[in-house]
Amino acid sequence: MKCGGFRTSYRADERIFDTAVPIVGLVILMAVLAVVPRFATTYWLDVLNRIGIAVIGALGLNILVGYTGQISIGQAAFLAVGAYATAILEANLGLPFYLAIPLAALITSGFGLIFGIPSLRLRGLYLAIATLAAHFITTFVIVHWESMTKGVLGLMVPPALVAGVPLDSDARVFYLIFALVVPAILVTKNLFRTRVGRAFIAIRDRDVAASVMGVNLLRYKLLAFVISSFYAGVAGGLMAHHSRILFPDAFSLLVAIDYLAMIIIGGMGSILGSIFGAVFMTLLPEVLKLTATSLTGVYPQAFGLIASTRDVVFGLAVIFFLMYEPQGLARIWTRIRSYWQLWPYAY
Amino acid sequence: MSRVPGPLVRFLLVALLVAAVAAPLVDAQGVIKLGNLVDLTGPTSDQGKDIAQGRTDAVQYLNERGGVNGKKLELVSVEYGFQPPRAVAAYKKFVEEDKVLLVLGYGTPDTEALRPYITKDKVPYLSGSYSGHLTDPRQTPYNFPGGIDYTSQIRIFFNYVKETWKDGSRAPRVAFIYADNAYGRAPIESGRAYAKEVGVDLVDEEIIPTVLTDATSQLLTMKKKDPDFAYINTNTQWVPVVLKDSYKLGLKTKYVVNNYGLDERTPGLAGPAAEGVIGIQDVAYWGDSVPGMKTLMEFHQKHHPNDVHASPYMRGWLWVIVAAEAIKRAGPTATGESVKNALESFKEFDTWGITPPFTYTNEDHRPTNRARFVMIQNAKIVPMREVSVDRSMKWIGK
Amino acid sequence: MNEQLVFMLQLVITGIAVGSVYSLMALGFVLIFKASAVVNFGPGELLLFGAYVSWAAILHLKLPLYVALPVTLLAAILLGLVIERGVLRPLIGYPIISVIMVTFGFASVIRGVLNMSWGSDTRPFPVLFSPEPFRLGPVPVSPVHLWSFVTIMVLLAAFSLFFRYSKTGMAMRATADNQQVAQSLGISVKWVFALSWCIASVVSTLAGIILGSVRGGVDFSLADLGLKVFPVVILGGLDSVAGAIIGGVLIGVLENLSGGYLDPLVGGGVKEVAPFVALVLILMVRPHGFFGKVEIERV
Repeated sequence: MKCGGFRTSYRADERIFDTAVPIVGLVILMAVLAVVPRFATTYWLDVLNRIGIAVIGALGLNILVGYTGQISIGQAAFLAVGAYATAILEANLGLPFYLAIPLAALITSGFGLIFGIPSLRLRGLYLAIATLAAHFITTFVIVHWESMTKGVLGLMVPPALVAGVPLDSDARVFYLIFALVVPAILVTKNLFRTRVGRAFIAIRDRDVAASVMGVNLLRYKLLAFVISSFYAGVAGGLMAHHSRILFPDAFSLLVAIDYLAMIIIGGMGSILGSIFGAVFMTLLPEVLKLTATSLTGVYPQAFGLIASTRDVVFGLAVIFFLMYEPQGLARIWTRIRSYWQLWPYAY
Repeated sequence: MSRVPGPLVRFLLVALLVAAVAAPLVDAQGVIKLGNLVDLTGPTSDQGKDIAQGRTDAVQYLNERGGVNGKKLELVSVEYGFQPPRAVAAYKKFVEEDKVLLVLGYGTPDTEALRPYITKDKVPYLSGSYSGHLTDPRQTPYNFPGGIDYTSQIRIFFNYVKETWKDGSRAPRVAFIYADNAYGRAPIESGRAYAKEVGVDLVDEEIIPTVLTDATSQLLTMKKKDPDFAYINTNTQWVPVVLKDSYKLGLKTKYVVNNYGLDERTPGLAGPAAEGVIGIQDVAYWGDSVPGMKTLMEFHQKHHPNDVHASPYMRGWLWVIVAAEAIKRAGPTATGESVKNALESFKEFDTWGITPPFTYTNEDHRPTNRARFVMIQNAKIVPMREVSVDRSMKWIGK
Repeated sequence: MNEQLVFMLQLVITGIAVGSVYSLMALGFVLIFKASAVVNFGPGELLLFGAYVSWAAILHLKLPLYVALPVTLLAAILLGLVIERGVLRPLIGYPIISVIMVTFGFASVIRGVLNMSWGSDTRPFPVLFSPEPFRLGPVPVSPVHLWSFVTIMVLLAAFSLFFRYSKTGMAMRATADNQQVAQSLGISVKWVFALSWCIASVVSTLAGIILGSVRGGVDFSLADLGLKVFPVVILGGLDSVAGAIIGGVLIGVLENLSGGYLDPLVGGGVKEVAPFVALVLILMVRPHGFFGKVEIERV
């Protein structure tokens, strides 16, 4: 049984996973994922697709907020830029998706760079408010630049073509999404073994001290925004392919708040936390909907009442986690695991 | 510092989870499912609540009388806050999981967004959106607007302008005031074209946000162009703001409001600013003397007498009545396609008098070309006269 | 040209009138921040609460005005206490992002509970003010706006005096400055927090009542206006009462001027976005606003 991190060679130190268990787990997971679309209904595939997109977005946001400590309410704006850029590149320029999505993500990173500039002068609260403003400005541009984005009328996205096969159903888009989710997770895990990742964490913990140690704050803060918005750009591009029609409404402030809730409930500064948070926040409205629908079948007049519970449950969940488990679901998971591993010992 | 949640909280969480898992297992046999999209928390929630209540009540009423073709109707309801992405997700669930026979849709942005899916899946979609873009069966064979379409309404407005304009020396000046979303925009392009056709001077267009608090700057700009008439295309919640600000500024413009912008509540919301304003009435108001009103009011009295209802409630009933009739005509082995064909067989179908009779054909999905003008006088809605516009195929699908 | 001047004057005066409502909202925000350094990201929901409760008291329960108003204010005070006690007290000392998220959280809860209790349809708001416009020279102003302007002027004076001269006011300022020192001097920090939330809630309620009157009805979109608070407090300074009031008026004027002059060029929407552009510009140039304390750390 493992106790602490006992490594006896540089090679061992460099490894991502210390034991074979996570690797085996990952392989099994990928095998399961490959087979799921055969059996699941469109509804559940849609949910899984949205979870996949959320995971990528949450990972990105966590890099910025959880690991580097920069508060950003701008996630919805980044997703929007990624989504619309992808759609426009494909529809207007005819680029195939495997060029459009990375290009769109790069455009989003550029955007993130601009967003990041206020972070050099502003702290915490003020940065949050600045990102809030930037969100509204971005939304305004999207809604009114109709020649490009069709504004409120909706922008249709042509399906991605893989070797001539259009990805026009949830089952097919599933593969595209999860083909990107797995590398996203691995890249993130790797990121925090590199000096870039460590610089981020240093900035979060105490940026003045980090700067004294030689971490170039300008460079790394901007890099955090750039990397984080790259993820969001990818997630946005996937959103474009998943829903196939883009509305500015899909990128409202509520979306940004949802993503923040994801990383808070999931666990800030934790990859597993991003995943848990994404799953939780995507499933919550679905669970509520199912409950509402089944209760409505029995008691039709209650429909209106149940519909508004979504807001209440969301709010209570956020408050609950912040009060009782500020490190989120990831922490609960770690505790369960260590309980399991260490039983019957207490620690 | 973390504390483990107390036992009560854990119990509630588990209960919720169990309910959610067990729920889908309880499935009734011999039920006809209808997808139901409603907005109860978003910018049109004032209408949504009544619409949802109307639909629920109508279904319950029909079920108490044995349902349709011997089976009970069941509404699979999803609240989507007027956010198209949630509507798209709900639609997918309706079609794949619930296998609904027909969808009772709602808003313009989501209905328009779902058009290709609806056509592909062959699911008849009876929408609360009356957008002209949904009326051409060649483009959207499965979309059926549930009332007189917005483009016809704007044409009625222009015809009215031409009729009442007495000054021969110049053309009448007209302005549009519309909401910044797909619903507000829907008839505008056709409106512009029709203005040219009938020789009316469209001098100004003012865009108001979906959620409106103050329209003063827009109205001041409009005032500079001094329009004689203006057409307002937004929701009942926001029209009073426009009217009140206009009143405050002393504008002389005569207003005509579309069907979703003016109803029984407007006099109360807008006060004296609403005097002389004309609305297009598509559906009976609460308490109107039409044959079906007695049934609705009795039901209301029996089940929720303390509620107050306005015209969206009638719309809720209306669409269920139309849907039920179509399903009945399609017979016990109804499919999406046969229900669509059934709808297209509606010829002067009597909707219990709640609206003018509905006629859908396989070339024209506009249910009716008739409506009524009402005017607000002395803080009351006074019916004026019936209006109609020709069913010119030129405007179909626009 | 006289016509142009009248046009601009109308925009400016409307802006001042509308802006005074923003000032009220911002005042609530600033009061909380001033005393407890907590940023309320759900100011709209407090407004909503005020509007709905006053509607319920007057039209639903049919209470006469002189009873309904105190009842509403009492409810506002209770809400303030509940929020402070139940939600914010446990989170003292937590990182700011947690506090921000918690305010989003209870904003959501308030909205959901209001929806469940009274439903989402538009309720006509009781007519408290006459709809006949009052003429200020060539410019008509609605009495509602006039009253809101008067209210904020009164509150400006009252709060400035309160914070400057009264013991409680000074205690609140001391707490905002340094909680530990304040506590060591015998100031009950708990009371200060509770008080600041209650006052903020009351002020937001007043703003809600005024907005309800302006709109003619209460419904859930009132909450969206809450976000306009941010440009105001950034302009005026997060902890300045005077700044909130002057900022509100300035933002109202900015909105209307950009609406009147820029909207026709772009096709609408500029009116809504202009305050946020201003916000960004001010953050770049003078982050602590025009009246706030200079406290932002530079990197």
